[in-house]
Amino acid sequence: MVLLQLDPFLNELTDMYKRNTEKGSVWVTLKRSSMKSKAARNKVKNVDELEHCCLVRATDGKKTISTMITPKDQQRFQSSYALVLKAHMKALKKRERKDKKKAADGDKKEGEAKKSKKSDAAPKPAQ
Amino acid sequence: MVYIASWEEFVERSIQLFRADPQSSRYVMKYRHCDGKLVLKVTDNRECLKFKTDQAQDVKKMEKLNNIFFTLMARGPDADISEVSGKEQAEQLASKKGRGRRQ
Repeated sequence: MVLLQLDPFLNELTDMYKRNTEKGSVWVTLKRSSMKSKAARNKVKNVDELEHCCLVRATDGKKTISTMITPKDQQRFQSSYALVLKAHMKALKKRERKDKKKAADGDKKEGEAKKSKKSDAAPKPAQ
Repeated sequence: MVYIASWEEFVERSIQLFRADPQSSRYVMKYRHCDGKLVLKVTDNRECLKFKTDQAQDVKKMEKLNNIFFTLMARGPDADISEVSGKEQAEQLASKKGRGRRQ
């Protein structure tokens, strides 16, 4: 397990998503952690005394990367992480609303119609 | 483990689960591009909550949940998540107002 800084982690995560587009999955785990061993944890009786961070791990089953997020970095990481996700989660289905779909189809047909025949594809003239 | 169908229920129960045992709870997001599937899981090794989707519109909801968990984990289970869980407007308002206790 490689513990990375925030930005290298995001870069690696981007690569990981790219590598697994054809096949494979990517898991990202968030966990609260003190980054201390169990023995060290047991010495501290009151759990609240331990400092906590958010541990982020990502794996594709072959390679694992991780990073620590302190409260200070949280806002910044949160937004860049959201950007990475947004950029890669493109295989999900778009909302299938009937009217919206029709409108989109209509646009396409109109576009095609202009190239080929006007009368066939666009029976109703736009008002 | 069965998938929870309702997003609201999933969010509510997963936050409850985390707050009940922050030490051993984790939040996993699995994305499979080739099948266009996204699975979210929250578990404390005793109970497991899962939510599955293939809809692009759920990405936004997931982002919100991500933010909630980032806040809860980095700042502590008692952290105020009303800002992240509410709408962006609420967030802006809250940041403008600030917390009364400061100063």
